[in-house]
Amino acid sequence: MTLAPVDYVILALYFAFVLGIGWRLRKRVSTSGDFLLSGRSVPLWITSLAFLAANLGAQELIGMSASGAKYGIMTAHFYWVGAVPAMLFVGVFMMPFYYGSRARSVPEYLKLRFDEKTRAFNAFTFATMTVFSSGISMYALGLLLQLVLGWSFTRSVLWSAAIVLAYTFLGGLTSAIYNEVLQFLLIVIGFAPLSILAVAKAGGWGGIQTRLPAVMTHSWQYMGSASQNPMGVEVFGMVAGLGFVLSFGYWCTDFLVVQRAMAAESMAAARSTPLLAALPKMLIPFVVIVPGIAAVALARAGTGYALPMKNGGPDYDQVLTTLMAQFYPAGMLGVGLTGLMASFMSGMAGNVTAFNTVWTYDIYQSYIHPGAPDQHYLHVGRITTIAGVTLSVATAYLAQHYNNIMDLLQLVFGFVNAPLFATFLLGMFWKRATGHGAFTGLLSGTLAAALTHGLTVAEQKGGWLADLHHFPSTMAQNFWIAIFAWSACFLITVLVSLATQPRPAGALAGLVYGLTEVPKDHGTRWLQPGRLAVIVGVVLILLNAWFW
Amino acid sequence: MDLRTPSGWFFLLIGLILTSLGLFTPQLRAPLLNANVNLYCGLFMVLFGGFLLLLAARSKRGRESR
Repeated sequence: MTLAPVDYVILALYFAFVLGIGWRLRKRVSTSGDFLLSGRSVPLWITSLAFLAANLGAQELIGMSASGAKYGIMTAHFYWVGAVPAMLFVGVFMMPFYYGSRARSVPEYLKLRFDEKTRAFNAFTFATMTVFSSGISMYALGLLLQLVLGWSFTRSVLWSAAIVLAYTFLGGLTSAIYNEVLQFLLIVIGFAPLSILAVAKAGGWGGIQTRLPAVMTHSWQYMGSASQNPMGVEVFGMVAGLGFVLSFGYWCTDFLVVQRAMAAESMAAARSTPLLAALPKMLIPFVVIVPGIAAVALARAGTGYALPMKNGGPDYDQVLTTLMAQFYPAGMLGVGLTGLMASFMSGMAGNVTAFNTVWTYDIYQSYIHPGAPDQHYLHVGRITTIAGVTLSVATAYLAQHYNNIMDLLQLVFGFVNAPLFATFLLGMFWKRATGHGAFTGLLSGTLAAALTHGLTVAEQKGGWLADLHHFPSTMAQNFWIAIFAWSACFLITVLVSLATQPRPAGALAGLVYGLTEVPKDHGTRWLQPGRLAVIVGVVLILLNAWFW
Repeated sequence: MDLRTPSGWFFLLIGLILTSLGLFTPQLRAPLLNANVNLYCGLFMVLFGGFLLLLAARSKRGRESR
């Protein structure tokens, strides 16, 4: 793929706008709260789109189109099963506690609800994970640009890191959130035409269905047993592992996304943020997954498009970029490429700003230097931005040792996030849960995750302790790791809580269900959280029925 | 800052670039397509950018009259 001068002009224009937004927002930052929490003043439509965009990194765009080409429309389960229900849950049931407790971060909520050690555990694992994810995202992009455009890996990584650093350093979380929205719009506008053009060329959805095996165009029909579908996952593993544990663990407890909702201007807006975000979320598969499916159909139809190859097999990670090269002329190609850069930047900025807040408030202010004036923490927040970006760059080089980005991310989430949802569920809805219970639960959950990985084998992965069970795919293995981690955490938390002293009910007001006043909705008629959730649920069911 | 303003300008500008490409170099085609992709996408972006700017201007007027 070669770029024309006009493509570079579009890319440069985008960089100028992103930096300009950061520059304009720098005046809004005068306290650490402005820098790290946006001063809780961001309008609802912006927090909703940022809630989506913070997660829509480059590896999601590349990985989802790759999975679309590999597995078909079943990949949409990562959205329809693996995101939307959890987004409804966090908006309707959990946001009152996050927003209402006035905690500044998810780890801080854990401290208020449980104790110091539970917060420390979450703060440290989360900080590590954000740096890791951001580095992987950076690696994915650097590698792709090197492969497709021949740009130097080091140069593209360093340039984009410098731009993300500049605008988050200037305007903090507000700048990251505002830019995420611009990035989200650009990703959709840059890639939706590709999806439409590729599907049209393949003869519409009907044409795709006639050219591909039925398993690639049905989302549920072949989920009965693991041997029937290319993912190697059966319906229980899918629904319990991905749909319940991994998805709720990510969307309900990961500070990266929750932070966007917590920046909203009111309780009703905070609750509506994930609900409103769920509507576009379930349509994203049509932009990121469908092009991958269309690519396989195009290759089979003899339209002149051939799947990219590597080592004798198809190289699915390049499906998206080869489609762009074949379907976009100079000009639109620049927009598509800019969209790819935008997705990378929003993923990275999301991680860096979440890392910032957790490091500054939950680690630095809590353990290293408490009691300093606020200006000191603002200063630390800014320095942490630089440190976070530098660490991400280092991780990008480390990530070169791993090849399958999605699987690795799932594995990391399985170890850290999966048990966490059990802790929050018990913490928010069972007042008897104690700090000792939560902490030992989390430890045993993470241990259970590691043990499951060590005792089972899938595609030559895992099994470093013994080989007790074979999974048909690493995806299935990851889902089951999550199931075991969650169950272990849940059980141990309950058992240890029953054996230890609970906190008095008075200390839990605003933190636990039953001891918290349920917020009254002041939104406009259709923006009431309950009503929104019902609308989203109905559309979700229709979509699943359509692609059954 | 109303985010709709910079986003609106951004898409308006990109849309204008693409539209003029589509008008003045209509022979510029993607390898596998025989459609003027730049023109159609450009026009859409101009409309979208204009729509965002219109919303921003309306909300600004609303704030001022209040």
